[in-house]
Amino acid sequence: MSGGVDSSVAAAMLVEQGYDVVGATMKLFCHDGDLPDRPCCSLDSVNDARRVCQTLGVPHYVLNLESAFGRDVVENFVNEYANGRTPIPCVRCNTFTKFRDLVVKADGIDARWIATGHYARTIDGELHRGIDHSKDQSYFLWGIDRSVLRRMLLPVGSQTKAETRAVAHTLGLEVVAEKQESQDICFVPDGDHTKIIRQRLGANAPSLTEGPFVLSNGSRVGTHAGFARFTIGQRRGLPGGFREPMFVVAIRPEDRAVVIGPREELLGRGVVARGVNWLVDAPRVGDRVSLQIRHRAPAVAAEIIRLDGDEIELALDEPVAAITPGQSLVIYDGDRVLGGGLIERAAGRRSPLPVSAWIPARRATLVNPTEAFRGG
Amino acid sequence: MPDPIYLDHAATTPVRAEVLEAMLPFYGPKFGNPSSVHRWGRDARTALDEARERVARCIGATADEICFTSGGTEADNLAILGTWRARRSEGRRGIVTTPIEHKAVLETVHQAANEGAEERLCRMTSEGVVDVDSFRALLGTDTSIASVMWVNNEIGTIQPIEELVAAAKAAGALFHTDAVQGFGKVAIDSRTIPFDVLSISGHKIGAPKGIGAVFIRRGTVIEPLFHGGSQDRGRRPGTENVASVIGFARAAELAVAEREEHWHRLEAMRVKLEEAILARVPDAVIHGRGAAHRAPHIINISVPGVDSESMLMALDLRGIGCSAGSACQSGSVSPSHVLDAIGVAPDVAGAAIRMSIGSLTTDDAIDRVSQVFPALVEKARGVARVS
Repeated sequence: MSGGVDSSVAAAMLVEQGYDVVGATMKLFCHDGDLPDRPCCSLDSVNDARRVCQTLGVPHYVLNLESAFGRDVVENFVNEYANGRTPIPCVRCNTFTKFRDLVVKADGIDARWIATGHYARTIDGELHRGIDHSKDQSYFLWGIDRSVLRRMLLPVGSQTKAETRAVAHTLGLEVVAEKQESQDICFVPDGDHTKIIRQRLGANAPSLTEGPFVLSNGSRVGTHAGFARFTIGQRRGLPGGFREPMFVVAIRPEDRAVVIGPREELLGRGVVARGVNWLVDAPRVGDRVSLQIRHRAPAVAAEIIRLDGDEIELALDEPVAAITPGQSLVIYDGDRVLGGGLIERAAGRRSPLPVSAWIPARRATLVNPTEAFRGG
Repeated sequence: MPDPIYLDHAATTPVRAEVLEAMLPFYGPKFGNPSSVHRWGRDARTALDEARERVARCIGATADEICFTSGGTEADNLAILGTWRARRSEGRRGIVTTPIEHKAVLETVHQAANEGAEERLCRMTSEGVVDVDSFRALLGTDTSIASVMWVNNEIGTIQPIEELVAAAKAAGALFHTDAVQGFGKVAIDSRTIPFDVLSISGHKIGAPKGIGAVFIRRGTVIEPLFHGGSQDRGRRPGTENVASVIGFARAAELAVAEREEHWHRLEAMRVKLEEAILARVPDAVIHGRGAAHRAPHIINISVPGVDSESMLMALDLRGIGCSAGSACQSGSVSPSHVLDAIGVAPDVAGAAIRMSIGSLTTDDAIDRVSQVFPALVEKARGVARVS
């Protein structure tokens, strides 16, 4: 229970349904010094979760998972940026912290179920998108152990966010009913992820050190202040003076280069992912699936063309923009999550085919690296 | 569920009926401000002075040596920062303490270090007792204060205060002891042991939270932490918490009068519980068990492989309230600095549970915990084997 409306309502719904509920808030990190109030994981949030449990008449515990979270999530987050990739810590938090470490704690108190406020559903031991597609968080859950699915309860996944807020009011959870959602990563206090990289790797880390902006033909067109500030598809912070809008199309940690190019260089017709995890029996080469390469991106049709241990390659029916190493590739059959993996690279750039791929809106920035990561 | 069992008396205790009764008039007709010149003021002042004498008698002190505070933490702060700041100009910089002190001492010494003091932490034996040789070695002509707790709040080991005071005095240092956990358990007499400053707290002995005291031996100069009034001889300005002081005096008298009987009762229960658990969980580790002197009320026990968070929850869900490590502001449990300091491996320290018995503990409760605790361990280990 984060102290937010979703997990609070989830707990309340389960109490109403007659479950014997035990509330838990995970303490995952500790900000040094004072920070302005944060919507997630701050002390106030812990207190809100405790108050909600008190209102519901259920016990509440704060579990210290700081060291495991630091190792499994924060360290990986920093290392991924150092390798020129764009990680999603929420995926690893779900995989290792919420649905592994917390499950161990649940075992310790004989809890049969583990419930969260995720907008996703489990149906017959399989994971499905939440009813409210605009809030769907199934994208962040592909990495969990398949056996945990049968123990998961995701009560708010079967309703819209507005309905969740309405339930909060109905049940008298005024403390949380109208709380704002955080768009930030919980352990990155003010949306500046370079701070935590600096903290962990030092100000001289190569990923925070000056490097060249180059075009794909190799010519140098400027200097940037560290490639960890960039992600594939980003427009903000690039040199100007080009005839068409330019995007980050690649990050090369070996020479600290940020490669920029026009939109067509951003497109991929295929994608390779590693660390694949299946939540159903593994599909086969040749199977038609739909896949999603970013949170909130629309699903696109694809075919599995290679399965090799924990590596997978898919061919996309239509090219897709901004296939980003480190982001998650999640494979769906309709609303059902089959599995996923971590994007290793795009395949088949510069497609000659007509383009009707996802073009994210959102101001002039194609992708803000710290935005829209909230995976609950 | 059967009646819940409170096994956290080292954290706090309920206010005793006699204490509450003694306090009530001071929330009613005797509401006066002790500094006022009229009858209401005189009533309050008389009661306050009398209470001060009664608290003083409990530790063999005189009334002018007792300064009331908001509790143990303020008492430790005033004792250490007050004496450090008062003696700073003498050129003595060293503060010798132990790594198993309460944070109220450790953090205060740290603050003194920010103001120019030099922190020196002595070594501990694996039994949780100060290594006296190491303590002596840290004392020098430049030592300002030595501060050692009487009874450790996490593992219940009793420190050799008499010996440590003698060593500190020989080096010309002031000696402070945090006796918050020891008061009412061990005999404390300022006439037989020449400590200079001592901290005690009310809510560990059946007085309300928010009241404590610091003993300041006559002749010891102390700089106040607060400013703005002449109360408590200027050592602790601010209108006195009269009702709580009255309650504290009553609780202290009762604690001292009942001390030996209480000790024997608690010790017998502790021994029984320890033996019952060890009989069914032979590999359980009771921290500080090998110390020469232990407080009668604290059991700090690790069952290897059974993490303390899960165990605390499982116990609480069965109505048994215990604690572990030190609770941070969020309410989560952090690894214990005390167990770390006495050389307990992190995985064993991460399994530690503190059970502290006291006024609410009955023989029936001990019997039930003797059953439930091992049963939870066996269950947890069963789970561990399955997964």
